[in-house]
Amino acid sequence: MPKCTINGQAIEVDRGVTVIQAAAELGFDVPHFCYHPALSVPANCRMCLIEIEPPPGRPPMKLQPACYTQVAEGMVVQTESERVLQARRAVLEFILVNHPVDCPICDQAGECKLQDYYMDYDAQASRVRTSKVSKAKVLPLGPEVVYDGERCILCTRCVRFCDEVTGTSELTVTERGDRSEIRTFAGRELDNAYSLCTVDLCPVGALTSRDFRFKCRVWLLTSTDSICTGCSRGCSIHLEHHRNEIQRYRPRFNPEINEYWMCDAGRHTYNEVHRDRVQAPAVGGQALTWPRAYEQTAARLKAAVEAHGADATAFVFSPQAACEDLYAARGFAEGALGATRHYVGGRPEGAGDDFLITPDKNPNRNGLLVMFPRDRRPAPFQRLLADLEAGEIKVLYMMGSEIPLDGEERARFLAAVAKVDLFVLQAPRQDELGPLAHVLLPAATHAEKEGTYVNCDGIAQQTRQGLQPIGGALPEWQVFVQLARRLEKPLAYSFVKQLRDEMFKVMEENSAAAAS
Amino acid sequence: MTLLIEFAIALLKVLVIVFGFVMALGSLMTLTERKYSAFMQKRWGPIRAEVLGFRFGGLLHLVADGVKMILKEDFIPSGANRNIHTIAPAMGLFTAMVIFAIIPFADAWCTGLALPVEGMDLCFGFDDAEALQSAQPAAVATFAPTHPYFQIADLNAGLLYMFAITGIGVYGTALGGWASNSKYSLLGGLRASAQMISYEVSMGLSLAGLLMVYGTLDVNEMVREQGALLWGTVPMWGILVQPFAFFLFLTASIAESKRAPFDMPEAESELVAGYFTEYSAMKFGIFSLSEFVMVVFIGAICATLFFGGWQVPWLYADGFHFSGDSMLAAASGGAWTAGELQSYVQASTPDIALPYGLVVFLRIGCFLTKIILMIALQLQIRWTLPRFRYDQIMFLGWKILLPASLINLFITALAILLLR
Amino acid sequence: MPAKTLVMERGKRSFWVQSYLPEVANGLAVTLKHLVRFITRQEESVFTINYPEEKRQYPERYRGLHRLMVREDGQVRCVACMCCSTICPANCIHIVAAEHDDASIEKYPRIFVIDELRCIVCGLCVEACPCDAIRMDSGVHCHSFTDRTTAFLNRDLLMNLGTYSAAKQGGERSF
Ligand code: SF4
Ligand code: SF4
Ligand code: SF4
Ligand code: SF4
Ligand code: FES
Repeated sequence: MPKCTINGQAIEVDRGVTVIQAAAELGFDVPHFCYHPALSVPANCRMCLIEIEPPPGRPPMKLQPACYTQVAEGMVVQTESERVLQARRAVLEFILVNHPVDCPICDQAGECKLQDYYMDYDAQASRVRTSKVSKAKVLPLGPEVVYDGERCILCTRCVRFCDEVTGTSELTVTERGDRSEIRTFAGRELDNAYSLCTVDLCPVGALTSRDFRFKCRVWLLTSTDSICTGCSRGCSIHLEHHRNEIQRYRPRFNPEINEYWMCDAGRHTYNEVHRDRVQAPAVGGQALTWPRAYEQTAARLKAAVEAHGADATAFVFSPQAACEDLYAARGFAEGALGATRHYVGGRPEGAGDDFLITPDKNPNRNGLLVMFPRDRRPAPFQRLLADLEAGEIKVLYMMGSEIPLDGEERARFLAAVAKVDLFVLQAPRQDELGPLAHVLLPAATHAEKEGTYVNCDGIAQQTRQGLQPIGGALPEWQVFVQLARRLEKPLAYSFVKQLRDEMFKVMEENSAAAAS
Repeated sequence: MTLLIEFAIALLKVLVIVFGFVMALGSLMTLTERKYSAFMQKRWGPIRAEVLGFRFGGLLHLVADGVKMILKEDFIPSGANRNIHTIAPAMGLFTAMVIFAIIPFADAWCTGLALPVEGMDLCFGFDDAEALQSAQPAAVATFAPTHPYFQIADLNAGLLYMFAITGIGVYGTALGGWASNSKYSLLGGLRASAQMISYEVSMGLSLAGLLMVYGTLDVNEMVREQGALLWGTVPMWGILVQPFAFFLFLTASIAESKRAPFDMPEAESELVAGYFTEYSAMKFGIFSLSEFVMVVFIGAICATLFFGGWQVPWLYADGFHFSGDSMLAAASGGAWTAGELQSYVQASTPDIALPYGLVVFLRIGCFLTKIILMIALQLQIRWTLPRFRYDQIMFLGWKILLPASLINLFITALAILLLR
Repeated sequence: MPAKTLVMERGKRSFWVQSYLPEVANGLAVTLKHLVRFITRQEESVFTINYPEEKRQYPERYRGLHRLMVREDGQVRCVACMCCSTICPANCIHIVAAEHDDASIEKYPRIFVIDELRCIVCGLCVEACPCDAIRMDSGVHCHSFTDRTTAFLNRDLLMNLGTYSAAKQGGERSF
């Protein structure tokens, strides 16, 4: 285990650890462009040059790239010495020789490493008197990614990502010297399912996202820790929003789930948060305030269940909802409502791959399942269709407007739903079911509430509230608490903390029972 | 019948004094204040209102302001107490106007023969000088009735009335502030009440010395006392016998009128406009009008108590007397005989003899001049001194003015005791 | 590191200054002097400028109505970088960016609106603009408004006042 000294501080690291990693462990940030912890190390940008002190009596050594140099026993390293600072200034000046500095129109401005390092280490006027090399501007590399050759600093992070992470190898460096540019291979497009990760990787504004381009300046964004609800992987993300509108998703480093990445499809799912939202609670097509809606919904539910009996009452749990909502939903369905028929809703299955994307497009199916003892798990949706068509269900309470059926079955389901006596839909979005509902209750999405989600590997993650609820939306569990109170069978909790204490206990019991 | 006549006379006095004089001066003040401050700051002030191209030096702004005030929307904020919000400005103006009842614009009209005795005019029971000449020299002179035509109410407790009314005056402000349902207004109202209560104390105490010197609460009587000549030459005006009290009283009464440097209740840099933030149109106008009327009153009461009121220096009922020697001396036996008076009149002792009517006229003119000078002094102060801080105002009121007026009272009492 | 503090002595004030009375008298004398001088020698001492008839000479850097500068071909110079709307303390600049057909311009403001009623005429937007696209040197007074919506000056209105600006940004390009 080699020991070394960095800026006067001693550290012992594993064999093979590079100086940049050791320095980071000590809290020294060595500026870098081409180095990325998840990619191979080409050491081509020379931004990370540091000074290694020579053995006594020897002349000063050449500066070494911190990203490539491995720590050796007894090494003495300076990351902020005069020579290092001078080298950094020189490297930056070199990179900027042909850089267009069009920060005003560059989406990266504000989170651009070149800008930051320039302000930190260079901050001098340009000495270049010749004109700059012009290169490709606004060149689409694929459906999602737009390339700007002038801003590219040729760090090859994007190329290495496609080679090493996705293995698709669409990108390469063409030409030589100051004419070098990034291009796709002839006849190919940067169209892999993770192509937008290159935009995150690009330290400058050379790669920009077609979707996010010019939508919002990054310094206006507020970032909230959340998860992507596109599939059951549940990638950790930064949910970035401005004026109560989500502007983009960006992967959040999570070594257990998604590391630094997320898929392109997942990045687009923020649109779902703003699409087709239910604006206010409505009973019989009449928009109401929440207190009124609680009263009338409870009255209708009570009358309908009394008329048709608990056996004709069905409750559909949604794997789109958070654990808190599902736990309250179970308490409500079994206790207050007394429904004996339980089903699982959610989105239909889709395609998956062997990296992040899973076929199950619902973020919390595992959370839903673990809410119930193994023998009392809700029935699949197909059964609901059968029971509906058999006329056994007269009262239907459904969470979420997603229907896990396709084609002809979907049409049959819609026709059957239109026939029930009372259909309560509690969902963020209207979709096809909204117009059919007798009672429509707006629900908050993952962006508007705190919630727990269990991913395909059984890892639970918590989301934070980023947006103010859109329209009259409320977290579903709050609605269940209120409705149960109106039905005179109140749930045992009224605060999220009480709910969570109970919920985690139940989840632990169920998962222990399932494991044994 | 006589009651009816008296009533008619009283009504006439109210009309002439309150509406002919007080209101006129008050509304003129709205323009004067702006003009005066403008001139002090080398500006023109309001000059732009014009009719057919004539501007009359800005006089038309009086009309323009009035029209504007009346035509503007009368706004009452939601949540305000409508009744009190409406009554409050009226209360302010009402108190400012009724307080003028005690101001004497000239001495009571003498129906007989008025002659000065040791600096105070007495009204002897002879119709005129000829009637005096034909009277028996040995007859004891009687006194004729006087009529207070130049004072609305000749109250023997005049000063107490003044304190009572100024005490009520704060209600208009405080209620107006409270009823507006606005934080600024409420703060303004609270400040006004705190300030008025604090300064009323020293205002009253500063006048107590004057009461002891003149031995009366009757305002007209106090003015008459000021006609006496000190050492036979100098009129004994309040400012001479109580110089200290004058400054205390002036300070306290400016504070009472809530004007700079004591305008904490409306402090526009902190409270928007304080207690009248939520007032508009004529109600706002009435608030500022009552403020100006208060200024006129302070001018009048200062002139009355400290600058000899209607007294023209050395002018007495029969003309100018430049020394006390030329006047009647006090009667030795407690009363004069007609003979004593005859010899006095025959010798025509006034240095410049004047008819009684002219004397009264001169006195009214002199009083008005004094009021105007006192108003000018107040304007000068208002446009010179910056606003105090709130704590400074409280400090000044309780820790400086109050002890100072107590000391003043004590010294006065001591002096009176020693000189008797 | 402890903050640098400098302890300031309060200036000593004499009893008479503290008592305030002589100063009041001084003050009254000063204002009275001005009053008398104004009344006696009006013409030479008056400061009033009778505005619509007489006008003051505006200083060179007077901030008038905003204007948006244009390129050689008359297109708007602004590239919708949002620097001005970010710095604007009154939050009165609203910009929506869009992709320009010309790749060398790349970005332009599809919507650019200034709420002149909200503007506090601080000039920070002009300072912030990296492209010499917004200026306040039009010398034009903001007109008066009776309707709030007429105070929203849009891109084309603002460009009407604008002129060609030759400022270069980012340096020259070759081949
Ligand atoms: S890449 Fe960075 S430095 Fe270059 S134009 Fe974009 S923001 Fe500016
Ligand atoms: S496009 Fe970005 S990531 Fe790719 S080489 Fe250029 S600078 Fe590096
Ligand atoms: S002048 Fe100031 S307030 Fe007005 S638009 Fe510019 S930055 Fe905003
Ligand atoms: S700062 Fe200049 S270029 Fe940027 S948006 Fe404002 S006006 Fe346009
Ligand atoms: S980061 Fe080390 S050379 Fe690029």
